[in-house]
Amino acid sequence: MLDRSSSSIAALIQPGRVHRRVYTDPDIFELEMERIFGRAWLFAGHSSQLAKPGDYITTELARQPVIMIRHSDGAIHVLFNRCAHRGAKIAPLRSGHAPRLTCCYHGWTYDSDGTLLNVPVPEGCARSFDTRDFALTPVPRVGIYRGFVFASLAKTGLSFEDHIGPMKANIDDLVDRAPDGELALDAGRHRYVFEGNWKLQVENVLDSYHVPFSHASTVNEKGEQFARREGDRHGAAVVDADKSRTAAPWKQRRSYITGNGHGWTSNTQLDDAKRSSPAFDEYRRVLAEKLGAERAQQILTPRLHNSLIYPNASIMGLNIHVRVINPVAVDRTEVTVFPVRLVGAPPAMNFGNIRLLNVTHSAASFVQTDDLESFVRVQNGLRSQAADWVDISRGLGEEEPDRELNATRELATHEMVVRAQYRAWLDYMQQAA
Amino acid sequence: MDPREFEAFLFHEARLLDDRRFRDWMELFTEDGSYWIPAVPEQESPFDQASLFYDDRELMKTRIARLQHPRIHVQTPPSRTAHLIANIVIESPPLAGACRALRDICLERGDAGASLADREAVEGEPPEYLVSSTVIMVEYRNDKQRIFAGRQQHRLRREGGSFKIVRKRVDLINCDSAFEAIAVPI
Repeated sequence: MLDRSSSSIAALIQPGRVHRRVYTDPDIFELEMERIFGRAWLFAGHSSQLAKPGDYITTELARQPVIMIRHSDGAIHVLFNRCAHRGAKIAPLRSGHAPRLTCCYHGWTYDSDGTLLNVPVPEGCARSFDTRDFALTPVPRVGIYRGFVFASLAKTGLSFEDHIGPMKANIDDLVDRAPDGELALDAGRHRYVFEGNWKLQVENVLDSYHVPFSHASTVNEKGEQFARREGDRHGAAVVDADKSRTAAPWKQRRSYITGNGHGWTSNTQLDDAKRSSPAFDEYRRVLAEKLGAERAQQILTPRLHNSLIYPNASIMGLNIHVRVINPVAVDRTEVTVFPVRLVGAPPAMNFGNIRLLNVTHSAASFVQTDDLESFVRVQNGLRSQAADWVDISRGLGEEEPDRELNATRELATHEMVVRAQYRAWLDYMQQAA
Repeated sequence: MDPREFEAFLFHEARLLDDRRFRDWMELFTEDGSYWIPAVPEQESPFDQASLFYDDRELMKTRIARLQHPRIHVQTPPSRTAHLIANIVIESPPLAGACRALRDICLERGDAGASLADREAVEGEPPEYLVSSTVIMVEYRNDKQRIFAGRQQHRLRREGGSFKIVRKRVDLINCDSAFEAIAVPI
């Protein structure tokens, strides 16, 4: 049994290393669901998924079924997807339209803000029965920034502003790429699953160390990855041409942390001056027309590769998408990858982005599949009792402040971002209810 | 038109995939050929929605180079597959339905898929056929076996004594589920 005391949890995390149990122990996983996913601000969905009143999506937060729905007044509600009567899931589909939500079991019917409207055979209700006591339970806290809807299952805790605030610029970086300043998550989704702990995926999104090795099969004889952006002739140089070493430009990239477990990696160095295709050129023209040439140029100068909004979401700047990480069990994780449509961009540009995301982040992609293999192998390797510790010490002590960005930075091939995630992990995990 | 010709061609394609002769498999496609596995049932277009696969020849080439790369970890060890192709129905001529709809979408949007517009059969060009079939692929890798199943549709162009694939679409019955890594084409 797990000792839930603050000191024994603290003993799992040491400078530059974490105990293998944080990936393998089912009791620790249960505690994570209670103390991290049960409290943190989690990405729940995007307002564009609910175009009109009555539109809903369903998802899971800390393994609990929730429904995100737009009410007749336009407001977005995040409710537990559970009938207040006998507990059946109210909305069975991943998305749909239902101005009234009716339970399949006994027909209790709710309004799209969760209010119980009526129950069949009302004359049978207990004398004290009051419909006002039986609304669908709302998720305690909801915060929205530029369409990104976050929810917290805890009534108290870090405010939305304090948690998401430092990452707003990273959300802006993506949203501003849309000529109309708006994203639409209406281009479907990729779904993949792996037999590994959720943190393996979370750690990986900001891991620049693995790329030349994990993704060796995506690199050509010149050491360059395949073209991942519309208008590029080839991708980033990740290994030297003789394939013996990580390429210098790749090594120069940096990673940044900003508290709460969040972080990001700087841009992938590509030949932006030569980026050109009919779709991209038209996109650049539309962007400049709406925002002015200078602002357009700023937006098109990449700053970010990947951003992590701890603990369950990432935003990618290279192959633009929003990714949501859903822990299922200590050794099982489901991930959803949403392509984003840049509202106001030419359809061909959006198609280019969607098409390339198929080959970078779908379950059948060239990139993500090798990551999944690594996650599964780590989960298997950690069954070994030969060594208790997982090393995350690269660059330990070399972190430096970046005053301009109000962040801490280090080389991207170091492991500062992972250590930062475990500081946040410990903050959540040491607090008893 | 001998239905056995189509059957033989589809069996040949399945055999190339099972034998991991991916380059030969790619050569079955026309230069402007495409390979599509939608991510939702009855997906109308690969252009505005995510797909499991939507490869033109260029992406196919990258995919296959990777499949033959010595350090493709997700294929170490490699998958073994067995395809079963059945319930073959020759749906054309004339060409209609999905392909025409797809062409119209391209034309309307003027987007990167517009080259598809050139593919509509015109008089004097080799005839094209739509052939649909049921596909079951059993995949074994690393002590795990799983099944992919669905309906596939080939748009085939007569070329010499055989056919070329102009477009292959596979609609998996579980296309919208969460998958473990898929490395080989279906």
